[in-house]
Amino acid sequence: MTLLSQIIQYAISGITSGSIYAVIGICWSVVYLITKVLNFTTGEFVMLGGMLTWGFHGAGIGLFPASLLAVASTIGIAMVMERIAIRSVRHPSPRTYMMLTIALASVLKGGVLLKWGSETRKIDPIFSTTVLHLVGAAITPQVICVIVFLVIVTAGLSWFFHFTLFGKALRASAFNNTGAMLIGIDINKFRLFCFGLAGGLGAITGIITAPITFTGYEIGLLTGLKGLVVAIVGYWSIPGTVLAGLALGLLEGFCAGFLSPELKDVFALLVMILFLILTTYRVSFWRKA
Amino acid sequence: MMRQKTGIPIRMILFALVIFLFPFLIPSPYIIGVMCFVAIYGALSLGKAVLMEHAGVFSLAHPAWFGIGAYVTGMATVRGIPPVLAILIAAGFVALLAYMMGAPLLRLKEYYLANATFCLLIIVEIVLGNMGSLTGGHQGLIGIPPFSVGPLTLKGDRHFYFLFWGLCLGTLWFFNNLLNSRVGRALKTFNDSEAASMSMGINIPQYKLKIFVITSVMASLAGSLLCFWLRFIQPSMFSIPLMVELITIVIVGGGEVLYGPLLGSFVVMWVRELIHAYLGKVLPVMTAEVDALFFGVVIVLILIFMPGGLAGWFEQLIRIGWRVRERFARL
Amino acid sequence: MNDSQDSNVLLNAEDVNKHFGGIQALNRVSFSLERGSITSLIGPNGAGKTTFINVVTGIHPPDSGEIRFAGEDIAGMQAHIVASKGIGRTFQLVELFGSLTVLENTMVGCHTRTRSGMLSCGFSLPKARKEEREIRDAAMESLQVVGLGSRAHDPISKLPLGERKLVGVARALSMRPKLLMLDEPVGGLAAHETKKLVDLIDTLRGRGLTLFIVEHNMPFVMSLSEKVIVLDEGTKIAEGLPEAVRTNEVVIKAYLGEEI
Repeated sequence: MTLLSQIIQYAISGITSGSIYAVIGICWSVVYLITKVLNFTTGEFVMLGGMLTWGFHGAGIGLFPASLLAVASTIGIAMVMERIAIRSVRHPSPRTYMMLTIALASVLKGGVLLKWGSETRKIDPIFSTTVLHLVGAAITPQVICVIVFLVIVTAGLSWFFHFTLFGKALRASAFNNTGAMLIGIDINKFRLFCFGLAGGLGAITGIITAPITFTGYEIGLLTGLKGLVVAIVGYWSIPGTVLAGLALGLLEGFCAGFLSPELKDVFALLVMILFLILTTYRVSFWRKA
Repeated sequence: MMRQKTGIPIRMILFALVIFLFPFLIPSPYIIGVMCFVAIYGALSLGKAVLMEHAGVFSLAHPAWFGIGAYVTGMATVRGIPPVLAILIAAGFVALLAYMMGAPLLRLKEYYLANATFCLLIIVEIVLGNMGSLTGGHQGLIGIPPFSVGPLTLKGDRHFYFLFWGLCLGTLWFFNNLLNSRVGRALKTFNDSEAASMSMGINIPQYKLKIFVITSVMASLAGSLLCFWLRFIQPSMFSIPLMVELITIVIVGGGEVLYGPLLGSFVVMWVRELIHAYLGKVLPVMTAEVDALFFGVVIVLILIFMPGGLAGWFEQLIRIGWRVRERFARL
Repeated sequence: MNDSQDSNVLLNAEDVNKHFGGIQALNRVSFSLERGSITSLIGPNGAGKTTFINVVTGIHPPDSGEIRFAGEDIAGMQAHIVASKGIGRTFQLVELFGSLTVLENTMVGCHTRTRSGMLSCGFSLPKARKEEREIRDAAMESLQVVGLGSRAHDPISKLPLGERKLVGVARALSMRPKLLMLDEPVGGLAAHETKKLVDLIDTLRGRGLTLFIVEHNMPFVMSLSEKVIVLDEGTKIAEGLPEAVRTNEVVIKAYLGEEI
């Protein structure tokens, strides 16, 4: 493979994973901005999408209906979680929500492990497996599907939040919870919606990437965490998250290709830590000691 | 409300006595082994609880210090360095690392700090797993020599029972003194009013850093002892499942009250044994992740119904008891 | 050290500026406080009085200007360092430590005068235990001065506002400060509580403490102060003896608007 096609190949895989991180980052942002909950089960939604599809398909249901069922189930699980666990917390604070969602994530993960074991699973691609070539680099329709999905989600959500009444109401309550409640908005319903939305988006992400990256009970952790990195670096905004996601994906892709595949995960985590540290320095470095 | 004084309160002496006599009364190696874990995790959770509840530092990296302490000790002794020296080297290394990382990290807001330290934990596991030649990789480090101090060699659950409980009780004593002293008062002020705290001359970032380093060294010591006890360590022992377990212990036992984590450790360890004993035959897999599932459920239930943990609930009962007594006395 | 400084001047603020967002909270504020004096700072709401205290004590750094305390420039120093130099303060909203008792709150004030660190306290070394006894005695003394010795072991939640403010003063007193800055000490107090505080301030003045009081309560200010400074929208508009300031037209206009 020539250097150019190598670069393009890694770039393509980078953009693919970047799109995934971007969508997951958006799931984190939407939930956090509107409900102030740092939802550590976001990654598990992705895992559930893939695993549930595999599970239902294995039980005899066709691939497409299985994926629909999987998405519906994940949305259902997300909403049940919100209803039962999150709403009932007596002293809501970021710390409590964090521990709560980490705990819930463990429950989901353990449940999948018990039901379907620890091996990685594969789902057949929904589209054909013909491989296209671009300057010597390979692209499959599945990859294009992922990128198109990102575009649809970004455009769709932006339109939703800026041009529909419901979306605007959601944004308003993000700015001021109390104010929103005073004019009659039911925060609980909003929270339920956001969780459902995150569940659905996460599940779909999991389903469309499973043919490329496989799926297993433990993929939720790293994927979710990278989504969080991307959301934070993108300042919790949709355009920022998308850019950060693509950047991280590309960084990882080139690292995996030119350096070592194992270390690519470390990359994302280091970026997160460095970024967080640098933002605080910017704010407070000018005090005299 | 009763205040504990510094020095050694009677309750602690009695408790230490019970702990000391325990292995002689119940010599079952299995039970002693579990009680060793109660002590180790108790000590770790104690440090974590003080860090989280009293200093307000929500760091998820605790297991990392435990693991690094264990690994440095293991790697050093495998290459012939005497055990006690290896323990000291590990502690020093961890202290340095915690100091360097703490200074920038502790400025972060609560959940950002939690995220950053979470990432740190994962990085440590990945690094330990991939430095195959030095650390034995994901398979683990084997062949760690026994713990010998001069002519004495300490082996087996009995000896380590005393070592671990010594560490655990020592940690309890240390923090009891600390929290009832000038430093303890200073720590309590951060949560109540930062502005007033600073105007009283309390350097909040410095105190947070110091507690961070001290608790990391304690975790390192526990890790060193662990490595001599098991003579074998693996990166997966020091990762997310351990972190979830520690959080479970702190939540179940209650972080506000000092002995809460110890109580939590006892309960969680034994409940885990029960789960393994009764459900191990029913369920197909029984790894740490499955434990995490049960712990997850427990955490959710306690956060909703008993946010102060068992110790918190216990203390509430005591307070209600006192009030009832007062009522009756007035009649 | 500036030789031209009067060694009797404890605090000298020169051209202190501070803005928050678009608002100029302090605009070229300058004045000095002499040792042992009682000075009051008054002004309409939002004039920047609490901001001034915050800037001096290091809670916010000033944008520019000099603040000299006992000859040393402390402008921009962090709050805990300013505290160790000998400036104590109370807060408008009291800001007591809710999880500590009255006595423990006061004991926190001794923090700058003691040294036992994490290790000596953790291992309960004799040095630490001795210091702890000393702190306890000093704090009890401060509580006696404000008249709350009998409430030492009560939790803060049991105290009415007036007594909480006294605890705040006791806490600052434990620092044995050279300069004590009181932020609205009698705000929200009933008459008998106010009287207690007036007596307390008299006692403190008798002990040689330099006092700086921010207040709204005019009779209180006029009866106690040796000098009054008036701030309006961040700018000093008057400085002088209480009588002079009270009859100053600019001051009256600032408080009442254009019409008298």
